[in-house]
Amino acid sequence: MTAHVDLNMARTLAKSSAVSVELLPLVARFSLRAGTSEQAALSKALGLALPTKIGQCARKNKLEVLCLGPDEWSILAPEDQAVKITDACEAIYAKAPHSLTEVSDREIAVQITGVKATDLMTIGCPRDLDLLPVGEARRTIFDGVSAVLWRDGADEYRLDLWRSFAPHVISLLETGCTELAAE
Amino acid sequence: MLLVHCPYCDETLPELEFTYGGEAHIARPENPADKTDDEWRDFLFIRTNVKGPHFERWRHAHGCGRFFNAVRDTVSDRFLTTYKADAPRPDLAVLLADASMKEPSK
Amino acid sequence: MTTFRVPGRGRVLHNRPVSFTFDGMTYQGLEGDTVASALIANGVQLMGRSFKYHRPRGPMAAGSEEPNALIGTRRGKGRFEPNTRATVQEIWNGLETNSQNKYPSLKFDVGAINDRAYMLFSAGFYYKTFMWPRSFWDKYYEPFIRAAAGLGVSPSEPDPDNYASRYLHTDVLIIGAGPAGLASARAAATAGLRVTLVDENSEPGGTLLSEPQAQIDGKPAWDWLSAELDALTDLGVRIMTRTTAIGYYHQNMIALCQKLADHQEKPAEGAPRERMWRVRAKQVILAQGALEKPLVFDGNDRPGVMLAGSAQTYLNRYGVRVGNKAVIVTSHDSAWYAAFDLASAGTQIEAIVDTRPTPNADLIKEAAARGITVLPGHTATGTSGRLRIKSVRVNKVENGKVLTARNISCDSLLICGGWTPTLHLFSHTKGSLKWDDESQTFLPDRITEECQIAGAGRGLWGIASALNDGAVMGAAAATALGKSATAQTVTVTDDRPGTGESHTELPTDLDPGKARAFVDYQNDVTAKDLRLAVREGMRSIEHVKRYTTNGMATDQGKMSNINGLNIAADALGKKQPEVGLTTFRPPYTPTSFGAFAGYHKGEHFEVTRKTPIDSWAEENGAVFEPVSLWRRAWYFPKDGEDMDAAVRRECRETRKSLGMFDASTLGKIEVVGPDAVEFMNRMYTNPWTKLAPGRTRYGLLLGDDGFIRDDGVIGRLSDDRFHITTTTGGAARVLNMMEDYLQTEWPDLKVWLTSTTEQWSTIALNGPNARNLIEPFVEGLDISDAAFPHMSIAECTFAGFPARLFRVSFTGELGFEINVPARHGRALWEKLFDAGQKYDICTYGTETMHVLRAEKGFIIVGQDTDGTVTPYDAGAGWAIGKNKPDFVGMRALNRPDLTAEGRKQLVGLLTEDGTSKLEEGAQIVLDPNQPIPMKMVGHVTSSYHSDAAGRPIALALVEGGHGKTGDTVYIPMPDRTIKATITGTTFYDPEGARLKL
Repeated sequence: MTAHVDLNMARTLAKSSAVSVELLPLVARFSLRAGTSEQAALSKALGLALPTKIGQCARKNKLEVLCLGPDEWSILAPEDQAVKITDACEAIYAKAPHSLTEVSDREIAVQITGVKATDLMTIGCPRDLDLLPVGEARRTIFDGVSAVLWRDGADEYRLDLWRSFAPHVISLLETGCTELAAE
Repeated sequence: MLLVHCPYCDETLPELEFTYGGEAHIARPENPADKTDDEWRDFLFIRTNVKGPHFERWRHAHGCGRFFNAVRDTVSDRFLTTYKADAPRPDLAVLLADASMKEPSK
Repeated sequence: MTTFRVPGRGRVLHNRPVSFTFDGMTYQGLEGDTVASALIANGVQLMGRSFKYHRPRGPMAAGSEEPNALIGTRRGKGRFEPNTRATVQEIWNGLETNSQNKYPSLKFDVGAINDRAYMLFSAGFYYKTFMWPRSFWDKYYEPFIRAAAGLGVSPSEPDPDNYASRYLHTDVLIIGAGPAGLASARAAATAGLRVTLVDENSEPGGTLLSEPQAQIDGKPAWDWLSAELDALTDLGVRIMTRTTAIGYYHQNMIALCQKLADHQEKPAEGAPRERMWRVRAKQVILAQGALEKPLVFDGNDRPGVMLAGSAQTYLNRYGVRVGNKAVIVTSHDSAWYAAFDLASAGTQIEAIVDTRPTPNADLIKEAAARGITVLPGHTATGTSGRLRIKSVRVNKVENGKVLTARNISCDSLLICGGWTPTLHLFSHTKGSLKWDDESQTFLPDRITEECQIAGAGRGLWGIASALNDGAVMGAAAATALGKSATAQTVTVTDDRPGTGESHTELPTDLDPGKARAFVDYQNDVTAKDLRLAVREGMRSIEHVKRYTTNGMATDQGKMSNINGLNIAADALGKKQPEVGLTTFRPPYTPTSFGAFAGYHKGEHFEVTRKTPIDSWAEENGAVFEPVSLWRRAWYFPKDGEDMDAAVRRECRETRKSLGMFDASTLGKIEVVGPDAVEFMNRMYTNPWTKLAPGRTRYGLLLGDDGFIRDDGVIGRLSDDRFHITTTTGGAARVLNMMEDYLQTEWPDLKVWLTSTTEQWSTIALNGPNARNLIEPFVEGLDISDAAFPHMSIAECTFAGFPARLFRVSFTGELGFEINVPARHGRALWEKLFDAGQKYDICTYGTETMHVLRAEKGFIIVGQDTDGTVTPYDAGAGWAIGKNKPDFVGMRALNRPDLTAEGRKQLVGLLTEDGTSKLEEGAQIVLDPNQPIPMKMVGHVTSSYHSDAAGRPIALALVEGGHGKTGDTVYIPMPDRTIKATITGTTFYDPEGARLKL
């Protein structure tokens, strides 16, 4: 059992000489599911080509679309674009059926930056991070918790976490932040 | 902890991202009502329990989420191959020949 | 400084004294010393008592293989650790250490009576002695064994230290930073690979640290080492010291335990004590060297008896002479060099006793030049001295005959029975070993992993061989990874390769049955024990091991395995490879629980999921219970209430007016797509086609075996969109099951599933005033009973938040469940709580929820069902869409054993006295007077005191229960038998009138 964390308020959660852990502001999030034959129509509706390789991300006008599976994308957008996205997808639903489900409140994002950001990730993530290119992301596991891990820069990561798991992961990141600074 | 190659992600990844899904190539009958009690029992409960290469299912649960199939040797705990759920059952003889070539040896 | 410290010698810092205590006495050592080297420098050899016989013991070795010198270390409150090897623990100012297994003191120990009773304590002693009478076991035998057994004492306080863990991916992991490992690292790193080099010692170098005389490419060994480490660092090699590879697992996964704090007086703030590294390497190079074997003869365990190579390490690495007057007994060339080094440092070498009739002529010449007596073709047959060796008894052996003995006085006896390659980690991989007749040891044979073995680990002796083989293996690893690499060759002068012979116990002129010739020092196993085991019928080496406990102590037989095998093979009349070796298992050296636990202790022990309302519950005094990974508010006690009182009040107030419950943990799945309704029809037992948008239905989910897996209320939001709720614990499992069917059985269906459990925070309001409370908050929706009847769903604005509103009841009262985006969960809860004050709103937890639902006979999947319960068994046959062509589980419901008579069925139970509350899990019988074992016909699944019913109520699964309404059954308990009557499962408002408000 870990301490309470207010997940609605973006702020610095932990900072040391090694690494800094920030809770990011909430954004609009959608889970998009569709078959191969609907992807062209959806790309048109969203105004950007859906990436088709798992882990790849397409970006346009502050919209981030990440391919998580062969028929699954995560759409991140500024909150004021949410209605536009919903409407655009709904308009093509009849001819290109798909599932667009809002999950803005399902997840929160934590950003990890600093010279030892990669080291901090290795306390929870079993993947070889050298194989995660900048600009891409993967769904993986972090200390037993399912998470989407974004590599935004050589020393810059983002973790999308389901809300109820966040206190556990954040507590570990805070511990690691102190530990890395003590090295 | 094993490394598992996900045929959808095309990456070889830590077992922690995966869950095991039992024996592979056991299709749910199209019309269950047509099946005899014995046939349905076999579908539900009877498994091969192989000592050696075993056709089995895994799910990339903390990844792309897909179920896929694998051939794993239950003696050495070594994967011979993994393949997509809709791919045909691979030829075991070919797999074993490939594996013996890859075996580390001195 | 004492006479045993050699000024200027070794890698210790002679100008940096360090004081520490051992058994309360303060000693001075030097920075760089271990407890063992510092104590030896102070003339202390007695460091412990043995496990079984409590014999006085000193260190046999200078490294992690040490079996004897086990100490307790204390570094402040809570920081006590037993069984630390004195040969590994580095000293620092203020370190407190203690010997173990002694009472009242190390020098006088009453437990040593076991040693006099030696003949009683032979192999299998426990099995034979404590067999009879059986009634003695609890009262006498077990307490006696517990008092006598064990190494050290357990710490009594919680460990205040922190432990850490990391994952590491590397191209080449090299285990052992001796000459072979260093050369491997150079070759692999030069090829441009990510290289990690680990060593359990406090500094890299391995053998080079003990053999400074060697010249490598013209440089003294230590200068070469220092330059080489710089070069490796420049090449980006990650070098980790005090880091033990404890286990080698599938596909080159290696666990490393790194000690970060135990060697420091003041570890850095926030730094962990130990860190477990889970390493995945593309190639592994095992460069772990070899371990020296003792010789087995009577009295080979007295303090002052030590492995010759270790004495050499104490001298050259720590600047400590192990004694003033030493005798060497050896069967291998290597011990001769120890003698020469000690002689140069001022120790009188009384004799070099070699079991071989004709040792190497060059060595004999060198000994002669130094004036050292050489006794070739001799055996050792005994030692004397109580707390330290005083003399050794040696005899010439001629034509297999042991001739007259002579005693040589000494304060140090250095023994060497040859060397055993360190192949523990290799054995973890199930790599096979092959007996090598020439070196009389096992060498690696078939390799199963992407792994190379370099240097002494594969039987190559000497620094030159190790360096050159290491380079070859490093290059081989690089080549295997597609890099071009070349192995550099070095030249080494003053190298000391050697050969030797291997033995069983040494020949003696005395009664071998009385010899205390130790094979396993830590478990006190003698040669006699091994022979006895074979005599008593043990044939497999695995049985011999377990019967004698040879190799089963914390040192895992590092010194004893081959000697044990030699003796067992001899007793069996077989060759060693026919007998085989026992299996080495991880960890390589004892590893703390803390290192395994890592971060998972205290509040981080396991993942704890929390709802958005959890913080309010905590602030308002809720008591919590874990439900799957969640922690949920269990009840909300008011001043002085116990659980029972709080739950009764919560139940009463909810039924009377209004209760509020955090239902956010309910699993939620959004089902979307043109085939959504088809999918629902196939998945759930119920029919969904005619369920109109805006309506909800209780759904029952089975496995294809026909047994209940989950249940929940499901709302249809539109033709193509359903909102499923699942049980709290079932959410992930249900989604997995549905994805499985969709992906693998019905990939043609155009329907997709999304987990929305965490998107919504769910607040359940129940009670006659539920609508009165929420009506003012709802915008754009008529929620009157007529417009929004029981089992409705609508999307609306609630208190300004977008919401999904269910009219649903899990209590039998008028009920609503409000789903709002999770970020607003707590805000809405507080608004409702404030507004609810005028209805005396009560917040309730999971316990009250359970009571209220049980009063209505609503099941909890996993409590009232157990994976063998069908809908019919649970009395939920009404939820089955019998006209559907198929659904998951439908076919199985017709299987003969699921339609058979006498299945366990869910019923209600009322105790006859009206006051006894049954225990959940209690077994039910029909006839309380039948002989034991009675026929049990079922068990109680749920039991509560019901305020609404005015008595305790229970649910139970009973064989043929549905046909037994009104029958009496019995529940035998330890103190009495309770009589109860079978009833229906609804105990409150059976007509459902209270829902229709």
